[in-house]
Amino acid sequence: MPLSLKSPSLPSSITACTKHIYSQTQSRSLSASSRQNSSGRVTRARSQLYRWLGQQGAIFRDPADGHTNYLSAYTPDGQLRRVIEAARDKKAEKKAARDANPNAIIPDAEESGVKKAIPPETTRDLRPFPLNPQFVSQSVLSREAKEKIWEAVMVDGMSVRDASSSFSVEMSRVAAVVRLLEIEKEWTRIKKPLARAYSNAVMNMLPISKFEPDEQRRIAEGIPPHESINDLPIHPATGPQIFHPTSESRVFSRADAAKVFHERLLPADDRVPHPELTIQHKEFTVGLTKEEIRKNQEERDAEAEVIRMRKERRKKAGVVKTIDTSRWAFKFTDINVDKAGKDGRGAQGVGWRYGKPLMDRKRGQVKIPTSVDL
Amino acid sequence: MTRKRFHGLKKVKVRASWNKYNLYNLTRLRSPFWGGTFYQQKWLAKSTTRAYHGEQIREGQWEKMFRSRLNAVVPMDHRYLAEHDGSEHAAGRGSGKDRPLDMSEKLREKQQIPWLHMTYAPIERRLDMAVWRALFASSARQARQFCTHGMVKVNGQVMPYAGYLLNPGDMFQVDPDSVMFATGARKESRQIKVGRKVRQKRARLNKRLRLPNPKPALPERRFRQKTPVEEEVEEKEKEVDTWAVPKLAINMQEYRKQRLATMDQFIGTAQLEFERGKSKLGAKRKQDLRALIKDARGIRALINRKSEAEIDDSLAKLIGQFKLIRQTTKADAAAATPKAVSRYQHKKQKILSKRLRELYLKELTTVEEEVEDTSKPYATPWKPRPFMSPFAFIPRYLEVQHSICSAVYLRHPVARPGLAEVPTPFGSDINQLAFTWYLRRR
Repeated sequence: MPLSLKSPSLPSSITACTKHIYSQTQSRSLSASSRQNSSGRVTRARSQLYRWLGQQGAIFRDPADGHTNYLSAYTPDGQLRRVIEAARDKKAEKKAARDANPNAIIPDAEESGVKKAIPPETTRDLRPFPLNPQFVSQSVLSREAKEKIWEAVMVDGMSVRDASSSFSVEMSRVAAVVRLLEIEKEWTRIKKPLARAYSNAVMNMLPISKFEPDEQRRIAEGIPPHESINDLPIHPATGPQIFHPTSESRVFSRADAAKVFHERLLPADDRVPHPELTIQHKEFTVGLTKEEIRKNQEERDAEAEVIRMRKERRKKAGVVKTIDTSRWAFKFTDINVDKAGKDGRGAQGVGWRYGKPLMDRKRGQVKIPTSVDL
Repeated sequence: MTRKRFHGLKKVKVRASWNKYNLYNLTRLRSPFWGGTFYQQKWLAKSTTRAYHGEQIREGQWEKMFRSRLNAVVPMDHRYLAEHDGSEHAAGRGSGKDRPLDMSEKLREKQQIPWLHMTYAPIERRLDMAVWRALFASSARQARQFCTHGMVKVNGQVMPYAGYLLNPGDMFQVDPDSVMFATGARKESRQIKVGRKVRQKRARLNKRLRLPNPKPALPERRFRQKTPVEEEVEEKEKEVDTWAVPKLAINMQEYRKQRLATMDQFIGTAQLEFERGKSKLGAKRKQDLRALIKDARGIRALINRKSEAEIDDSLAKLIGQFKLIRQTTKADAAAATPKAVSRYQHKKQKILSKRLRELYLKELTTVEEEVEDTSKPYATPWKPRPFMSPFAFIPRYLEVQHSICSAVYLRHPVARPGLAEVPTPFGSDINQLAFTWYLRRR
């Protein structure tokens, strides 16, 4: 684009022009962190930014050692809230002790050589966005936990469902952990370099959930589970508030309530990911022994497996009919001509239909695949 | 028109990036003073939130993705489900069974589900957003670039579309070097200079590798015309001595390709030898040769899964055996041919040295981490880029294994009492207004 002649800063001669350009390039840096704007001055906003980066923001430059480093954990002047609170509590405690017994000598932690430990994070300290208390940086599984899960599934042959309930980790996560660790082991085997430095650094920045494989000890030590494994998805059919008159003497259970919402809606007991836990607990309250409960569960599992296999077989048989000659396997899929519809333009219709344009070259057609098979 | 600043300081706009400007803006972000008309409020909320959520997506595209139906879950206790059938909530209504209502107690124990924080949940399903959320890129835009540049694989296939919507169970992998570049500190100027030279040198070496061989010398004059089979054999024989490809600084993939070609050559030669000597060779030598070919095929099939050293080792062994079989006479063939180490023995050796191997590996990895490699695009030894830690979190709908730069998209993000899984820097008021903006005409 030619320079506008109206421009008052237009230099008169060629030498002046080169000079002008030179000075411009000098002052204009491509770096985002340049301290100057195009006119070569530092604006107030920018100087404030740099002041913040040098003072309060300096703590965020490098990861904290041994704990997370989120914005909400700090006061506006860049001090750890939990440290301040702990100091205040300690002061109050000391004061209370002194009031109770003015003659006693209370040992100071610093004087006695005990290094002040940073108190553990609370949920408040794990919020990366100060304005949004509803988002918390939730803890991730430790390396040790992942190894234990992998071992339980791949070495001990535990089912994903059992591993999920015993480690209190979602079923999909158990499967993912196994899958990812398998790949990692493969990489170490073929000596493909791992991103270890990166991995260590990231794990140092994230909250990591405490892991105790033994359930009894976990309960005894009060270690919270990694995540809730029995999440009931809120079904849209349960959205509306329904006034359903029923007799007072009637025992109106969850199953009845589900029927009222929708005739085909299952009760919560069946819609949670681990319905077997409920059944097992029911049996436990009735007074069955552990062995009996396990046996019953195995029977139920076997039944479910048979049903699943049958369904799968039926589904396979229904879709494609295979006629196996000695040389060829002819595969037939049922097709309904009427699916093309009255005007022959139905989406389910098969084959080339005269007068029906193919839309795949038309503008706005999305070509991004919707799924990638394994 | 001049290009607008992505990270501006005048107008506080929080972006999907780890930039220090963005961190500063995040500390300055306040809930706006809601003046003006309802329309103005909605507009402001929409423009504020869209600067962060899928800023790289066109508005129309996002409007198509938007759903008014939001996902939420309620954690259930299986013990409660087993002990109660739910009828206790309805029992004795009006007959004095219910206790007097204490609203304050109810409010305290019941946490609301932050539904409206889930407004931008569909965007989190996009591949570029997931790559960024898994901490593989320093901004959503960089993650998008990684996708288009073919650095991202979904279920093992390169997925060049940043807009691919992940399905539950999809695994995505990003090239580790790109991840280390995106999340690592910048190189110093010295490292940049040295690295440039190293890369140039390496390129030259690789180029030389790919160059065709100098013109072959004119073939010797022979009295008798050779048969094609004989010619081929002679050629292969020449190659036997040139199989030892010079060690060069090339990457593993190229190395494997070379070794694969070498293996093919080797198998071809051994087969020819077998065919040629069918009538002449003794039964023992034939057996050995057949076993050798079989072994070679097995090794060739596993070449992609084996390490450099393992491949070289087995190749050297094969070549040695082949030479022995050819050279030895019938009589001493049986005595001299080293018996192939059985698979069982291999396994046993491996098990025995497992501890040692682990120790060695540990040492090796620590050395690798500390070593300076100027040819990399990031500062080595690797350290995280500045101002990364306040942005480092992983939402629960992802399971990430950072050491292999891979992650699995477990499920769609959900809200639960007191928590929403969509990471949004904005409060519920802004999110609610933004949701209302997109609700219109729906």
